[in-house]
Amino acid sequence: MTIQQPPVKLKGVGDSLWITMDASLPAETLKQELCKPFERLQHLAVNARVILDPGESQADDSLIDDLGAFLQQHFQVGRVSGPPKAKITPAPAGQEGSETGRNAQNPWLHHSDDTLVIAGRVRSGQKVEARRHLVILGDLNPGAEAIAGGDIIILGSLLGTAAAGQPDNENAIVLGLDLRPTQIQIAGYVAAGTSSSSGKKPEFASLKDNQIVMADYLKDNIFKRLAWPEIR
Amino acid sequence: MDGKVIVVTSGKGGVGKTTVTASIGAALALQGKRVAVVDMDIGLRNLDVVMGLENRIVFNVVDVVQKKCKLKQAAIKDRRIDNLFLIPASQSDDKSIIKPENMVWLCKKLRREYDFALLDCPAGIEQGFKNAIEAADEALVVCTPEVSSVRDADRVIGLLYAHSITPKLIVNRIVPKLVEKGDMLSHVDVVDVLSIDLVGLVEMDDAVVVSSNTGNPIVQQKDSKAGKAFNRIAMRLDGHPDLPVEDPMGHDSFWRKIGKKLGRKKQE
Repeated sequence: MTIQQPPVKLKGVGDSLWITMDASLPAETLKQELCKPFERLQHLAVNARVILDPGESQADDSLIDDLGAFLQQHFQVGRVSGPPKAKITPAPAGQEGSETGRNAQNPWLHHSDDTLVIAGRVRSGQKVEARRHLVILGDLNPGAEAIAGGDIIILGSLLGTAAAGQPDNENAIVLGLDLRPTQIQIAGYVAAGTSSSSGKKPEFASLKDNQIVMADYLKDNIFKRLAWPEIR
Repeated sequence: MDGKVIVVTSGKGGVGKTTVTASIGAALALQGKRVAVVDMDIGLRNLDVVMGLENRIVFNVVDVVQKKCKLKQAAIKDRRIDNLFLIPASQSDDKSIIKPENMVWLCKKLRREYDFALLDCPAGIEQGFKNAIEAADEALVVCTPEVSSVRDADRVIGLLYAHSITPKLIVNRIVPKLVEKGDMLSHVDVVDVLSIDLVGLVEMDDAVVVSSNTGNPIVQQKDSKAGKAFNRIAMRLDGHPDLPVEDPMGHDSFWRKIGKKLGRKKQE
């Protein structure tokens, strides 16, 4: 007797949902099986990046495309792709290039919106986590934590701990209208808040020469120099 | 009409929860209400000492919950103030002996019996705290103008909101001289961070230490600043919510007030 493997398994890997499936089953069966976990996820699956991994079973690209279209239609997921080729077989030359090229042409179409916007006061002992950018319309109190894969923007006082660009996005910034943090982390770098920061003016912290530096947002806005509006 | 159960809490220890409970309880009783103050700090009771009733304890709140006695038997009448009753904690048990469902039952009894029941919550946010807030109608958060106290109060406020209780704030032990010099947080900063309704500002007062050692209620001492503040808090809780909060920093001279109005900043 063999142990029955579930035909579809779902787990979160990095910033995407990794689905291991048995591609030898017919497409219709797979779709039915996929519905089960995604129905449970509800809105959490919206705009999520999904990776369909046929595992050891062989699957052609058309099956992945078919299932991807199905998931996008029914559960509004973001980009669906096969597993990264590098892990299994070396990627055929040109394929990766074509993909990044497509992204560069019209990035808006492929923009997956996983920015979290919340309103209110985050109090001591409370923790807010966002997969990418985090916007808080309110204050982050001392003892509270904000963690984001991208930028953290606090439209209020930032007095707690803010960790942006987790785990390794060194371009992330922390912006606050009143920046007096306990601690700021960007990617793997940590800076302790100092009492010297005056607050009461919009400031932002970013990574410069492996150090977290704070600057007046209105005076030293690093984004002013960009030639063209781009998606963060 | 049913009474109100108000929990007095802070998160941090030693900020004056017990004094606040005893004083506001006494003030409400002096205003003619029937008041019970309940010590929820099981295992570390001290509300009885502050009220000078330690030698009269026969039954305690654990006995009431375990139905070994009636609520009335455990309630100790105050020596000086009519209508003020203490329900002491047990000293030999620990906090887990009372379950949240016991508190629902106890608070129902308290509401029926008294106009106000003030629960003196233990420090921390563990079982004792959970018990105390379980069936409370309102909460008073006591905070001193210190960073550590503000942070703990903030945490407690978050937990109270999560429990659908809207807390009110008492800033205790303000030393106007230190605030003026910039060596102490001002109550404005505290309220700014905690952003909940302020119900009273209490100045640091040596008379409080004397009164809790002797068991004389501070609210009966006419010349005590803290006593006056507690009386005003009690009035605000009892039907005068719009009574203005007196600012202990308000002893500014006439000319300095004018200066402030004209935008002259204080030297820092």
